[in-house]
Amino acid sequence: MSATGHRVARRLLLGGAQTAAVVLLVFAATEALPGDAAVALAGDQPDPARIEAVRAAMHLDRPPLERLLVWTAGLLHGDLGVSLTSGRPVAAALADGFGPTLLLAVPTVLLLVPAGIGLGVLAARREGGAVDRVVSAVLLSLYAVPEFALGALLVTVFALRLGWFPPTAVGYGTELASHPAALVLPVLALLARPVCSLARLVRAGMLDSLASPYVAQARRCGLSRTRVRYAHALPNALAPAAQQLARTVDWLLCGVVVVEALFVVPGLGTVLMNAVAERDLPTVQGLAVVFGLVTVLLNLGADLVTHRLAPRTEVAA
Amino acid sequence: MTHDHHLPGLHRRGLLIASGAAGALALTGCAGATDPGTSDAKAEAGTPKRGGRLRAAFAGGGASETLDPHLSNLFADAARAKALYDKLADYGADLSAQPRLADSWEPDATLKRWKVPLRAAAFHDGKPVTAADVLHSYRRIADPQRAFRARASLEPIDLSASRALDERTVEFVLKRPTAEFPNVMAAFGAYIIPASAREGDFDHAPVGSGPFRLVSFAPGRSTLLRRNDDYWEGAPHLDELEFVVADEESARVNALLGGQVEYAHELNPATARALEDGGRVTIVRLRNSAMQSFAMKTDRPPFDDRRVRQALFLVAGRAELVRSALSGAGEIGNDLFGKGYEYYADGLPQREQDLGRARRLLKEAGADDLRITLDTSPVATGFTEAAAVFRDQAAKAGITVRVRTGSKDTYWKDILDAGTLCCYRSGAMPIESHLSQRLLTDSTTNATHWRHRDFDDLYRQAQSTKDPGQRAEVYARMQRRLYTEGPFLSWGFADWILGTARNVRGVARQAPANTLDWARFDKVWLA
Amino acid sequence: MAVAVARSRRGLKRIVVGRPGGAARGRGARRFAPGLLVVGVPLLIALAGPLFAGDAGPRGTSLTTGAGHPLGTDFTGRDVFREVLLGGRSVVTVALAATALTYAVALPVGFVCALTRRAWLEEVLMRPLDVLLAVPSLLVVLLVATAVQPGPARLATVVALVGIPDAARIVRAAGAEAASRPAVEALRMQGEGWVRLALGYVGRAVARPLAADIGVRLTGAVYLVATAAFLGVGVAPDAADWAVMVDRNRTGLSVQPWATVVPALLIVALTMGGNLLVDAALARPHRPEKNR
Repeated sequence: MSATGHRVARRLLLGGAQTAAVVLLVFAATEALPGDAAVALAGDQPDPARIEAVRAAMHLDRPPLERLLVWTAGLLHGDLGVSLTSGRPVAAALADGFGPTLLLAVPTVLLLVPAGIGLGVLAARREGGAVDRVVSAVLLSLYAVPEFALGALLVTVFALRLGWFPPTAVGYGTELASHPAALVLPVLALLARPVCSLARLVRAGMLDSLASPYVAQARRCGLSRTRVRYAHALPNALAPAAQQLARTVDWLLCGVVVVEALFVVPGLGTVLMNAVAERDLPTVQGLAVVFGLVTVLLNLGADLVTHRLAPRTEVAA
Repeated sequence: MTHDHHLPGLHRRGLLIASGAAGALALTGCAGATDPGTSDAKAEAGTPKRGGRLRAAFAGGGASETLDPHLSNLFADAARAKALYDKLADYGADLSAQPRLADSWEPDATLKRWKVPLRAAAFHDGKPVTAADVLHSYRRIADPQRAFRARASLEPIDLSASRALDERTVEFVLKRPTAEFPNVMAAFGAYIIPASAREGDFDHAPVGSGPFRLVSFAPGRSTLLRRNDDYWEGAPHLDELEFVVADEESARVNALLGGQVEYAHELNPATARALEDGGRVTIVRLRNSAMQSFAMKTDRPPFDDRRVRQALFLVAGRAELVRSALSGAGEIGNDLFGKGYEYYADGLPQREQDLGRARRLLKEAGADDLRITLDTSPVATGFTEAAAVFRDQAAKAGITVRVRTGSKDTYWKDILDAGTLCCYRSGAMPIESHLSQRLLTDSTTNATHWRHRDFDDLYRQAQSTKDPGQRAEVYARMQRRLYTEGPFLSWGFADWILGTARNVRGVARQAPANTLDWARFDKVWLA
Repeated sequence: MAVAVARSRRGLKRIVVGRPGGAARGRGARRFAPGLLVVGVPLLIALAGPLFAGDAGPRGTSLTTGAGHPLGTDFTGRDVFREVLLGGRSVVTVALAATALTYAVALPVGFVCALTRRAWLEEVLMRPLDVLLAVPSLLVVLLVATAVQPGPARLATVVALVGIPDAARIVRAAGAEAASRPAVEALRMQGEGWVRLALGYVGRAVARPLAADIGVRLTGAVYLVATAAFLGVGVAPDAADWAVMVDRNRTGLSVQPWATVVPALLIVALTMGGNLLVDAALARPHRPEKNR
């Protein structure tokens, strides 16, 4: 047990370094993009004198390293800095974006896990059987439909034709949570692809486990088929699924751009898109910190689950 | 003055900038299409009804939006600033300056001193709008530290010499004769704020003289406004006005169709065509909102040779460009800016495609096997489409065009000095502003590097000419020059398309984007 | 332990023997039929389409139906039917190349991590990939796209680059599970070499989850091309490419659905058929479980 504790502590330490690396990389990447916040702000009136003045006002005329150091010093005091474009604190912009992101991510994950695993198990019951084929075909075709097309279809049918749900979340602003109906369609649009990848991984893992020698052994020991299936085969199938789930949650928290735009849910993906387009470095860096931490924690969680399901190190020891 | 970001998948937002115009394009426009507005025009009649809340969806600037009117950059910013604040003047449908807070204006004989009496108007806090407020606002805009967008427009004013003659009369002293000084007062972003306005109050307690007062503001989401009963031009009909942000065009359309908003700004031509006959919403096309052109750099090969520029004029198939790149939502252009605007030279013959003559001109210029790179970007609707269409048209004249797609975030800066040929667009502005901002030796955004002393002299001559008729003649000479050999191959004028709910009345139809009546909500009412 | 080894070796043999078995071959054709049928149409169009496309006619009004264009016109007024015929080849090539490239890197890295007993080696290989994983892919695509000029080869590279960290983690997870099986322990004890272990046993054991992943990744690659198109990077905005068509014509979805729907259906058929084929290829003959 203490071995696990040690492992977690080490990974967390490593995670801190990783987050720092992410921030550095993102800083370098954004810095390397052509143009800066002053150019982006000038838009189609790129008066060179004005761009220079804005650049000076934003302190963009300072060397990048100096700006990074100033920002890092602030970060150590828990200060993410202020947006170059609006002059408001970055922390506030991130907090504003995090709410809608969570409102989409949480229900999606809550539906995704049972649906993905359930469908995968269902399809794996009899490989090549009718259920397997139908489930596989439906999931694959859903997967191959681009998000915006699926979103448009959902809106057309359920919002504009049937009038069951509002077509967008426009105007709900900060009170999005009190309009759950507006979240139904975006969550459905978000679910389509992850359910497919998760279910297919679970199915593949189950089939593999069911064909493995130790399941055969378990059968021979007289365990019931249900018990073999769910107590022995399923956990093994879940190892790659846990990794996939971590990736999906990561995506839900950090990169939902299309669905946010389509349904007007201004979450972190929208904040990122705008910040990159505006070359608003402090905001991009603030997002990098958040994304870095989220990814580190998720990967750690997924690795722990994998480790538990397939505890190779202990076997070796 | 505006450009939108046509991020195909995720329409990020509509950046609106003092030169470029709009992104959306509508279709009809060309060739004898009927004005879809006419049938509704009758319904517009009737007594305006008071009350109700109108929700208007715009592409916005996300979390970095602000209500500081001098920082206005986006269409959404401009619409909000217009609801909260006033300018001394604003543009009419033909882009001539119309008095607003200014009651009138009167220059002296040198055109260097302008007396501007103000009308009786009050800020939201009840204090009157005074000459001191006007001077304070302009000084704030002109602050070299702040680099506000309108600063370049106010450049002709000598603010240290300008003064308040009395409580309600300003005397502007200019650095040089400026016959079109009213255009300066109507410039994008030149809003009047009270001298007592505190920095930092703009986003939560803005005080303007506009038709609406602020109730609440959530950046990137919504701005809620309430009627200003004491508005100098008469109180608005609406009780409340809410601006909501929806960057993606399809989201604005869906929200409109689903009854979540009553006004959707900036629709695609294809969408407009689909909705036009459906009867569920009203489509409004604002004509002549955006000049679409290809800009040639005249200071470097191959376009330093006037014959090559003229050949390119003859290569462009304008009708096909409007049809295919703007989906028909616009009119063909005649290589001049400002169709339908004051001083536009509409007497010049319409230029037609003539590949044979184009080839001959190229041969004369020794450019038989011309190879050029055309810069484009998804920064504005129709850009990448126009580039593709023009590439194919040029191929028929033996010109090899390579299309290079650049970043939308930095496009305008990129094309300012680099490259030889690029897609270009401009929003509505007076023809004089177009000339002074882009076609003079010292213009700040001269993307064609068109620099001719004699041309500059003509501009100065126009600015020193008090009589409008004589001034028009000078402008006509300048436009003839641009038509003959000018740097802009202006192939079309795109419509700007709005959608409104059926019960929305009083939306102006003769108002190119960025003019006074565009996005003007104090005259709008709900039937 | 000894028992487990014996059993697992028997199991191993059965897997190896079971695949090319006669029963499987007999069912083969029927097994592959649905997949082949679904994938056949888009593949045929992709391969033979360009031969029948003919010359480009004059452009019409963009996003309209009818008027001599069986599938209407696209966003620049071109004939959609012709674009469909032309647009399959690059989709197939880029998606295949990108997926192959992703796995060319992810497989060795993932396997080494799964099989090595040296914790530091795993850390050295996986942590940098984790860093990449945490960098928003949007930023990666934007950056690479500004650095390189568009072209199919470069596009495939970008798409692969975005996919590698993710794929490597999945390979590692699947491999680690397989490597922890008693059979591997036993083989290890018997002194089997690392390469034989990796390729012989673990590789075979993870083939199934990985094939599932490759299948969906192929679809993902196609849509990353569409994403690149709408970001205005990596592909010419008017390229004849189904993925690009789906994205660029979507503004006309309500007036001219064919320009979006037809290429989208072809992509759906392509990826779905491909996945069905993968499933069929991996399917083992049914064991008569009940009779046992």
